[in-house]
Amino acid sequence: MKTNRVITILFFLLLVLIPLDFFLIFKVAPTEKVMGDVQRIFYLHVSIASGALLAFTGVFLSSILFLWTKKIAWDIAACTSAEIGVLLSTLVLITGSIWARPVWNVWWTWDPRLLTTLILWFIYVGYFLLRSGIADKFRKAQYSAVIGIIGFIDIPIVRYATKWWKSIHPLLTQNGGGLNPVMKKVMLFSITTFVVITIFLFFFRFRLARIEERLQILKKKMED
Amino acid sequence: MNIIELRDIKKQYHAKTALDGIDITVREGDSVTIFGSNGAGKTTLLKVISGIMSPTEGKVFYNNKAYSESDIKKETFYLGHKTSLYNALTVQENMHFICRLFSINHKGEFVDSILKEHGLWERRSDPVNELSHGMKRRLALAKGFIINPKVFVLDEPFTGLDLKWRASVLSKIKDLRGKGKFLILATHLVEEGYELADYVAFLHKGRFLFIRKKEEVDIKEIKEFFHSPGDDLG
Amino acid sequence: MKFMGHAISILRKDILLEIRGRESLSLMLFLSLLLLVIFNFALDIDIDNVSSLASGILWVIFVFSGILGMGRTSMAERDEEAYLSIVFSPVSAESFYIGKVLSNLLFLLIMECFTLLFFAILFDFEKIISLLPQLLPALFLGTLGFSLVGTLFSFLTSASRYGEVLLPFLYLPVVVPVILGGVTSMDIILNDKVGGADKWIQLLAVFDVLYFAISLILFRYIIEE
Repeated sequence: MKTNRVITILFFLLLVLIPLDFFLIFKVAPTEKVMGDVQRIFYLHVSIASGALLAFTGVFLSSILFLWTKKIAWDIAACTSAEIGVLLSTLVLITGSIWARPVWNVWWTWDPRLLTTLILWFIYVGYFLLRSGIADKFRKAQYSAVIGIIGFIDIPIVRYATKWWKSIHPLLTQNGGGLNPVMKKVMLFSITTFVVITIFLFFFRFRLARIEERLQILKKKMED
Repeated sequence: MNIIELRDIKKQYHAKTALDGIDITVREGDSVTIFGSNGAGKTTLLKVISGIMSPTEGKVFYNNKAYSESDIKKETFYLGHKTSLYNALTVQENMHFICRLFSINHKGEFVDSILKEHGLWERRSDPVNELSHGMKRRLALAKGFIINPKVFVLDEPFTGLDLKWRASVLSKIKDLRGKGKFLILATHLVEEGYELADYVAFLHKGRFLFIRKKEEVDIKEIKEFFHSPGDDLG
Repeated sequence: MKFMGHAISILRKDILLEIRGRESLSLMLFLSLLLLVIFNFALDIDIDNVSSLASGILWVIFVFSGILGMGRTSMAERDEEAYLSIVFSPVSAESFYIGKVLSNLLFLLIMECFTLLFFAILFDFEKIISLLPQLLPALFLGTLGFSLVGTLFSFLTSASRYGEVLLPFLYLPVVVPVILGGVTSMDIILNDKVGGADKWIQLLAVFDVLYFAISLILFRYIIEE
């Protein structure tokens, strides 16, 4: 099958990319002067966030395609992307906290970016709450597509609102200043790695979901 | 000549196949009764025909055109298990609301005459939730007479009615047949369904066991199908 | 215009339904009053802090009473699948949506006016009534935003097994920008803080337009199965 080949290729690619990425982050990238080694988590943090954003974009596009074509495969794609998105955005929040503690001296700050991520997280956890509450497959797909679309469009709105809200209150912290050229390259590499990881996870999970789906249908047929 | 046509309709719920390859053609003025036990897929089929539900696969044609759901919806009166009435509103208010939706003049005699015809006139100022079950079903059907569309899709119109009410609902549905409407009916009441039909069909596990002219099928045969559907199919 | 005519018919029906059934507005008013009492205990409101707390308290009440009310009106629509009579009529999904938005907006605004009045009376804070003309734009636009999103979401969640309970989980995160706008601009006006209120009102208007456009497109997918 085609999906299988994609998964295999991505898997071997990641076997190279991930160790290399960690090597670059921990050995090649220079230690940041003010923050020290803890700043290295920043590479992961930003990369995971890019992966999460990619996943939510996937939810958005799959949802639109579902409403358009009414093909249940798009719903499975949307749901799969949402799962990955929730997983990655949870990691974003955790890595962010670990980073914030030594650097900003707090576990949490009401920074617009953090706030947006948190709200995003809430929206997509709600997405799964909704899915668990609707039995009809088609209706479930249809309704969650609506949430998938409106939730995604809401991201920039939330981002803008929280930013404007913060600009009235004094800004407590400034995100890490400029990165030097080596740091920038490491960052770029790390982001690429995590984009590949996200795509890999997507295909892997997607295939599993399709198999689950087929299994359920077969089981039902056996019962009948 | 108007025709409703369903081609290879499949509908899947979570893991259950409700409809598994349905083909049927209905001509204007013909009345089809779909028999079947509970869970055979009757309700799903009627919802697909009336456009509330899109099928997982297959197409619905109306007048040889692939009709969009919203179009067929407007040509159809669908009466399901639920009454689609606002419980807190009175009989008359419900009817007037329907008239507004369909741009029908509700100030004239029209609504009153239909309420009288259906034996609801005395109860016109009572909220729907104070009516008996039979009254509610009757009111729900009367709504169809106000809208007066081409297609009447009735899902178990006799459920929960005692004999007196059943007879009166039956006679109202017969009136519709006389007016040359499409009548698509799902029921497990063999006598009533048989009486109203031009064509009879038997649905079992999402498939038609047969669709035939009424004259070709004996009422006893249908009854037997209810006892042992699909025996000959294995 | 037929389009608006249909929407108005639905609004009329909802008003009638409220008069006959008293299922939504009266519950909202009751919850508002109850929350005011709770906040009084929780925050120990007095003459000194009432002005700085007012905006936050009021908008939290608006949000939660609103969720309750919009959940109720959607459940009334799902009860006996009453909404199908609208779906099966020449009324477009868009008119249906706008009609429901209007009725939710109306009930929310009535609830908010009463809440403001209760607030002024209970906490001896007449200033909020005298400032009403200045507060009105943000109040209206914020409430419109609630109604635009809430109409879509409450109709969506009312079909789920969890019913109205699910509504806040989906609705609250999405309307955060509206809440922010409402709270902040009201706070600025009540406490004579410098600048920004106008900007927030403009922002709320922009949000409303965006929410309106998306919800109007998406509503039709919620009323078909």
